[in-house]
Amino acid sequence: MSELQDKVRKHTFDGIQEYDNKLPNWWLWTLYGAIIYALIYWLAVHTIAITRTPVEQLQVEMVAAAEEQLARAAEGGLSNESLALMSTIPDRMAEGKAIFLQYCVVCHTESGGGSVGPNLTDAYWIHGGDLMDQHRIVTNGVPAKGMAAWGNQLGPRRVEAVVAYVYTLRGSNVPGGKAPEGELYEEEATP
Amino acid sequence: MAAADTNMRTVVYDDDVCRAFSLATVIWGAVALLLGVIVATQLSHWQANFNTSWLSFGRLRPLHTNAAIFAFVGNMMFAGIYYSTQRLLKVRMASDLLSWFNFWGWQIIIVAAAVTLPLGLTQGKEYAELIWPIDIAIAVVWVAFAVNFFWTLARRNEPNLYVAIWFYIATIITIAVLHIVNSLALPTSFLHSYPIWAGVQDALVQWWYGHNAVAFFLTTPILGIMYYYLPKAADRPVYSYRLSVVHFWSLVFIYIWAGPHHLLYTALPDWAQTLGMIFSLMLWAPSWGGMLNGLLTLRGAWDKLRTDPVIKFFIVAVTFYGMATFEGPLLSIKSVSALGHYTDWIIGHVHGGALGWNGFMAIGMLYWLVPRLWSTKLYSNRLAEIHFWIATVGILMYVVSMWVSGVSQGLFWRALDADGFLKYPDFIEGLVASKAMYQMRLLGGLLFFGSYILGMVNIFATVAKGQKSRTEVQVSARVNETGEGARRLIFSPPVLFSVALIALMCWLGVANLLTSPLVLGLLCVTVAGAGLSFALGRDRWARWHDLIEQNGFVFTVLVLFAILIGGVVQIIPTVVISGKVPSQVAAYQAEIAQAAADSTVIFTVNEELAEQAKWMQQPYSPLELEGRDLYIREGCYTCHSQMIRPLRHEVLRYGDYSRLEESLLDHPFQWGSKRTGPDLARVGGKYGNLWHYLHMTDPRSTSPASNMPSYHWLKDGRVDLGGIAHKMQTQTKLGVPYTDADILNAEQTARGQGQLITDDLAAQSVELAPDSELAAIIAYLQRLGRGPQPLTSADLAEGGR
Repeated sequence: MSELQDKVRKHTFDGIQEYDNKLPNWWLWTLYGAIIYALIYWLAVHTIAITRTPVEQLQVEMVAAAEEQLARAAEGGLSNESLALMSTIPDRMAEGKAIFLQYCVVCHTESGGGSVGPNLTDAYWIHGGDLMDQHRIVTNGVPAKGMAAWGNQLGPRRVEAVVAYVYTLRGSNVPGGKAPEGELYEEEATP
Repeated sequence: MAAADTNMRTVVYDDDVCRAFSLATVIWGAVALLLGVIVATQLSHWQANFNTSWLSFGRLRPLHTNAAIFAFVGNMMFAGIYYSTQRLLKVRMASDLLSWFNFWGWQIIIVAAAVTLPLGLTQGKEYAELIWPIDIAIAVVWVAFAVNFFWTLARRNEPNLYVAIWFYIATIITIAVLHIVNSLALPTSFLHSYPIWAGVQDALVQWWYGHNAVAFFLTTPILGIMYYYLPKAADRPVYSYRLSVVHFWSLVFIYIWAGPHHLLYTALPDWAQTLGMIFSLMLWAPSWGGMLNGLLTLRGAWDKLRTDPVIKFFIVAVTFYGMATFEGPLLSIKSVSALGHYTDWIIGHVHGGALGWNGFMAIGMLYWLVPRLWSTKLYSNRLAEIHFWIATVGILMYVVSMWVSGVSQGLFWRALDADGFLKYPDFIEGLVASKAMYQMRLLGGLLFFGSYILGMVNIFATVAKGQKSRTEVQVSARVNETGEGARRLIFSPPVLFSVALIALMCWLGVANLLTSPLVLGLLCVTVAGAGLSFALGRDRWARWHDLIEQNGFVFTVLVLFAILIGGVVQIIPTVVISGKVPSQVAAYQAEIAQAAADSTVIFTVNEELAEQAKWMQQPYSPLELEGRDLYIREGCYTCHSQMIRPLRHEVLRYGDYSRLEESLLDHPFQWGSKRTGPDLARVGGKYGNLWHYLHMTDPRSTSPASNMPSYHWLKDGRVDLGGIAHKMQTQTKLGVPYTDADILNAEQTARGQGQLITDDLAAQSVELAPDSELAAIIAYLQRLGRGPQPLTSADLAEGGR
């Protein structure tokens, strides 16, 4: 960019002069490079279709995740008993309580006595009182009743912890709780 | 100049209108910035809306963006264009009447916007919120401006058009096209309308408009202004005329294609998304061409950087332009967009452009222009220096804080734990983490605003001590050259090669594996041919551009052609193809019903149509439609999206990804572009009615860290149930399949659905009127992502659906 290069064009506009300098090479190659890249990208993605579309990519990831969960479930063997067992592990209950306080209190209140959602401290259950029933409800929700499906958002580990934690509230019959709803559930005596 | 020349004429430039636009710029700039400070405060401290509907974020943010773009930059652009055009063409504006019509018309439009937007009168399309009567006024005023400009062009005493004029031409015609196409709507009343576009069509048209409002309202006119005021202020020749030529044409041609980069990973068809991305990448060099020509023009004038505040502002403006036009292509890369989209990063990006590029250009221009318009010197260079430094620190704080909060939001949302599930399941965690950055952004904005007030003082003091200028010059009248005819200029090698290249590129786009090598071969041959023609006939090509610069008509036609191609290629196929889906699905469903009723009919399953039918949106119930209009009125889209991207973390958080078919009946679309709150595409049924009631009246009761306004006024507001039928009728004209019975029973149906919701609330000890606005908006929210809901208690007893 030596000054020698600068050649003023003869025409001026309201006193503004213009040089007619060459375009910088790096600039030209930025332009050409982007055009060539655009062509290659289009051909690769749409004409030859060697890449996955976002939806295909998502499906691959979802399948991989499902496989992983399947393996985990086969190992863990979730059951009423395992969830009840979990409710005796202090660390897991601390985790469950934290989740409950973050996500559930809005409808079920801090004590579990219920407001928008039903009372969790009595012996009456609308959708079944088994721990596995409750695991299913927390995971899939009850849309008609306004219970959200938390399975995807919280993930299985958190769902298990919070179900087990809610189990610890059962029977506490907190004062001021919501009136019983649903059916009386009597736990089978452990054999 | 020969004094005896009989061709000499006296021209008196119209400086009055430039003065008016300059002062309007100064005043509206302060308003736009103040509004920005208010909405920024609301994001970190929601109480700053004083629990008042017309001060709530959803209504003020559109006013802030409209004020910044159309009031501040709009007036600055008119001031800059009116002043420079007259001097570059050596002629007074053709019509003083049109100039003043332009001025007063524009100010009235701005005032109308400032009244209607806080009242919630909006079309719910970003940067195109203004209601239809104002849209018509904008079109009329813009056409008046165009007529005045082109008339002046025709009467010019300067044969050649300078590069600034090229950019003004591109601005005027493109904004007219964009505004008219995007604003097409069918009114339901004087204050309300539905856009003719729906769902994916509306999304594509809106972002073709939205992106190119940035391109042709905030970029091309300002580049034109740069090309006039920067060499004037620096008193140096422009660095390179041929760079001007190349970057002008590549910029106007490529810019228009890049709109879909706002819709990456949405339900927009993949081919359009790809075009959005690759054209954005190709836009990098043309944008930097403008930056280079600006910066390199200052070679030899760097000493002025120390002494002249005008040069300081221009340098920083051009630097921010370079930064923003690098960041834009970067954000358009799909994997980067996956992280940055919906976050504050985008807010940082646009403010780098709006405050850094537009704001600093405007201030630089005013500091140069105002002393000349009032025949004096700037009141205080020292004050301008202080303004410069505070404003620079302010922008940097703004942009950096938004980078930090934007990237952290993106990372919070996508983070998965060891089990492959969301690490931060609660959306609010990302918002809580951003709070400190929101405060820093507010401080940055306050600094910019405060320094701007200093600038205002400086400018008003300059005006006060000066006297209005009267610019009278002697110019030699243009001799009408015979020149080359329009036909020969259009059917010339540069145009023909360009057309051939564009046609081949389009062919390549639709070519399959077998034909694409052939098309590529032809493309190579054409490029080689163009290169050869250029190498052999360099002078001829140069002469050609010289000639089109002398022919305003041909120049304008070529610009119009260049800006139309991208829009036509993207919009027409999308509109046509998606427009057919509802009727195809309906026909397919009729076929199934026929087959079910009559066993002799042979029915074949069409998998594609079956899939489309599965996702096909059903019309909203009357109350839901009304609720949707309220959602639009309150500007919910300024913080909530309705578009779940096909990314694992989004599917985990919000549910299955959004399909194109799900919003095909939405006039206007509400996909949104920002998530200060979570996505709502599938919020229907996620929570109970009571939750929504509590959340809308006091968001903190259900989500303690929320910064959402409390919408308590919806409790008292009443819906005109009798008026819904008319709105449904209007929607029918736009293709929404409401039956006559639907429309006839609209009021009754709406009342029934409202009753159902309020009965449910009453059972939980909350009183709400069935025709309250809150009931309507709950009905709409409960519908999102789901099929038709029970409308009466009888429906409910039957199990609904």
